[in-house]
Amino acid sequence: MKTVFRNPGAGARLTLAMTPMIDVVFLLLIFFVCTASFQPLEQVLPSNLVVSGAGAVNAPVEPTPELDEVVLRGEPAPGGAAWWVNATPCPTPAALDTVLGSLAEIDATLPVIIDPAGGVPMGDVIAAYDACRRAGFLSVRFAAAAE
Amino acid sequence: MRLPTHATRRDAGANMTPMIDVVFLLIIFFLVSSHLARQETQAQLDLPQAATGDNDADDLRPRVTINVLPAGRPLLSGVPTPVDQLAARLRHEQSQAAAGLEVRIRTDRAARYAAVEPILLACAEAGVWKVTFAVTEKR
Repeated sequence: MKTVFRNPGAGARLTLAMTPMIDVVFLLLIFFVCTASFQPLEQVLPSNLVVSGAGAVNAPVEPTPELDEVVLRGEPAPGGAAWWVNATPCPTPAALDTVLGSLAEIDATLPVIIDPAGGVPMGDVIAAYDACRRAGFLSVRFAAAAE
Repeated sequence: MRLPTHATRRDAGANMTPMIDVVFLLIIFFLVSSHLARQETQAQLDLPQAATGDNDADDLRPRVTINVLPAGRPLLSGVPTPVDQLAARLRHEQSQAAAGLEVRIRTDRAARYAAVEPILLACAEAGVWKVTFAVTEKR
């Protein structure tokens, strides 16, 4: 009768070493947690400046188009800023979109100057700027009064 | 003479696990340190929303970030800076930047335009014409 001999160390050698695998798995976990950004992705809105007043600022001069410019004036209001496009009042964002859209259909190359009052929240200012870009205007600038 | 056996040859193989551990630890270290460095210049603000924002991942020009807190106080590179010193500071940064300086304004949506207008004026006085506003995407 033949006897089967078993090597007592063979079983132990075949088991997987779990510790390095757990090390690497945890490191991968930390890597993904670190690379994931929990903040909303930021974008940018490029802007140009228009300086009015007596300040001695040498702004680059661009050729003035033959048509008039579009001036967007804003005043603080309880339910959001109230805007005037040249002399046309736009009490709501929808009205502002409509007026800007109709102007942009005529000539989208008209320069738009945003001139809000000091008390207008920046959220409303940026919303108006965004509306100008959405309407298709190519040149949108901010007015800053030099004292 | 002692000949190398199969078992001894296997033991001589390089163990990759500690090397992967160390490499990953280094990667995490650099990630965390760069994240902390970025947090120094970016205050926690409720940014305005816009639907036409651009991604500027490929813009490599030198940049100065100005945070405007809800109360209107400006932070230049994370440091509170009086408005009357902004133009001089920006002029200095502009002279250091060969490719032209970009000023990024991160303003809280509750801050008033009166707080941002002097910053725009300081940029104009310093000759910085690349001014961008940080926004979040409007959904």
